[in-house]
Amino acid sequence: MQRSAQASADSKSAGEPEAASDPNRQRRRERLLQLGTLVLLLAVWEFAARDANKLLVAVPSDIAIATWELLLNGELFWATIDSMSTFVLGFVIASIIGIVVGFAMGTNRTVEVILDPYINALYAMPLVALIPILMLWVGIGFLAKITIIILFAVFPVIINTVTGVKNVDRHYLDIGKAFMASRFMVYRQIIAPYALPYVASGLRIALGRGIIAMIVAEFLTSISGLGGLIINYTNAFETAKAFAPVLVVALLANALTVLVQKVEERFGRWRRR
Amino acid sequence: MPKLSVRNLTKRFPVSGGPSMTALDGVDLDVEEGEFIAFVGPSGCGKTTLLRIIQGLETATSGEIRIDGKPVTGPGHDRGFVFQQYGLLPWLTAAQNIGFALEAKGIPPNRQGETTERVLATVGLKGFGDRFPHQLSGGMQQRVGIARALAIEPEIMLLDEPFGALDALTREILQNEMLGLTERMGKTILFVTHSVDEAVCLADRVVVMSPRPGRIREIVPIDIPRPRASLGEALRDTPEYVAKRHQLWNQLMDLV
Repeated sequence: MQRSAQASADSKSAGEPEAASDPNRQRRRERLLQLGTLVLLLAVWEFAARDANKLLVAVPSDIAIATWELLLNGELFWATIDSMSTFVLGFVIASIIGIVVGFAMGTNRTVEVILDPYINALYAMPLVALIPILMLWVGIGFLAKITIIILFAVFPVIINTVTGVKNVDRHYLDIGKAFMASRFMVYRQIIAPYALPYVASGLRIALGRGIIAMIVAEFLTSISGLGGLIINYTNAFETAKAFAPVLVVALLANALTVLVQKVEERFGRWRRR
Repeated sequence: MPKLSVRNLTKRFPVSGGPSMTALDGVDLDVEEGEFIAFVGPSGCGKTTLLRIIQGLETATSGEIRIDGKPVTGPGHDRGFVFQQYGLLPWLTAAQNIGFALEAKGIPPNRQGETTERVLATVGLKGFGDRFPHQLSGGMQQRVGIARALAIEPEIMLLDEPFGALDALTREILQNEMLGLTERMGKTILFVTHSVDEAVCLADRVVVMSPRPGRIREIVPIDIPRPRASLGEALRDTPEYVAKRHQLWNQLMDLV
C-alpha cells in the first residue's frame, strides 16, 4: 500500500498521471534502473581496463569467455560440486547444533550460564586465527573444511535461537499452562514457532559466514573447490579465469539466501503481511 | 457444599527495593454450582490476579482454594480459561487452537475434529476453522477463545475481561451471546470485567473489589430473573437492571 502511494506521488511529480497506482510498473522501472546501472558499470570497467596489463587485470568480456571455457571443460562444475557438498554438510550440521544448543540454553538457565561466555567470546573473535591450530588437530582434508565451516556458522544460529526462545511472549506460555500442555507441546507448538523468525535470521547470517568459511578453508587447507580455482588461477596470472569462481560464489550465496527466505516464508504463513 | 470455595486467599508480589505489594488480602468467597459471578473493581483491585490464581496460572502466598471440596494446587482440565488478549496462538488456525487444548487434555487428533466443529458452531463460527487469528476480527478471535475453553468441557469457566478490547457494538453482541450460551449450559462461571453494565447483564452475583490491598468490598446479588437472553436489548431497560447498575456504579465511585 505504502509502495503504491509512493509510486503515485513519484509519477505525478514526473508528469505521468496514468501510472498513478500501478506497483508493477514501478517495480519494472526499478529493475530496469538496476540493470542499466550494471550495464554501465561493466562498460566503464571494460573501457577503463582495455589497455591494462592482461596478467593483472581482467575485463568483463575476457571473464565471460573464461567462464564459458571453464563451464565447457567441466572444471567449474566439479569445483562447485566439491565446494557445495562440503558447504551444505557443514551448514546443516551447524544449523542442527545451533538450534539444539540454542534451545537448551534458552530453556535452561543452568546451561545458559555455563555456555554463554564461551559462545560470546567465540562469536566475537576472528575465527581465522584458530585455523592454523585447527589444522594441527584435524589435518587439511575434508574434515578440516567441515570443522571450519561449522565453527564460522554455528554461533549466529545459537545466539539467535537463544534470543527467540527467551523472548517468547508470556501470554503464549500462559495458554500452554492454563490448558496443561505437556512440556513437549509447549516446545513444539509455542516456543518453536515463536522462535522461528529469530532462528531464520540466524541461519541467514550463518549462511554468509559459512560461505566465507568455505572459501577461507579452501585457501588455507588443501587447495580445492571454488576457492582452489581462485588461488590456482591467480597464482598462474590467469586473472580472467580466477574471476569465474568468484562469480559462481556470489551467485550461490544469493541463491541460498533466497532459499532460506522461501523456507522461512513457508513456515511463517500465519504472519500478517 | 459450594462448587468453589476461596478461603483467606492472600497474594503478595515482591517489589525490588521496597516492601512487597499486596495484590489480594484475605479473600473469602463461595460459589455455588451453575452460578455466574462477575468481578468488578478499579484497576489494581486484584480481580485478574484472583482469577489467575483460581486457574493455577499463579500461586497464592497463603490461603486455600477448593473445588468440590478438594484443594486446588495448579491448573486443571476442570477449569477453562478465556484470556483478555493474545489468547490465541497466532501460528495456529482457529481449529488448531482448539485442537491445542484438546491435545493437552489427551484427546487424540482423530477424535478432535467433531468436538472442534461443535464448539465452533456453538460460538457462531461454523466454517471458520481454517482461518488464522489475524484473518479474524477481534470479536471472532474471542469467540474462538471461548470455543477453546468450552471444548475441554470444564466444570468452571474463567473469563478475564474477555470483551475488554472490543468495540462497544461487538462487545454488546458478544454479551448477549454469552448470556444465551451460559443460560443454555448452566456452567459455573467466573467473569472479570471493568464494565458495570456487563456485570449486571450477565451475573447472578457481582463481587465488588477494592484496591491496595485487593479485598472483597461487597457482594451484590442481581435478581433479574432468567432467562435474560430472550429479553435482548430490553434487558437494559428493566427497572431491576437500572437500579442495580446505579447501585454498583455508586459503590465503585466511592472506591476510586
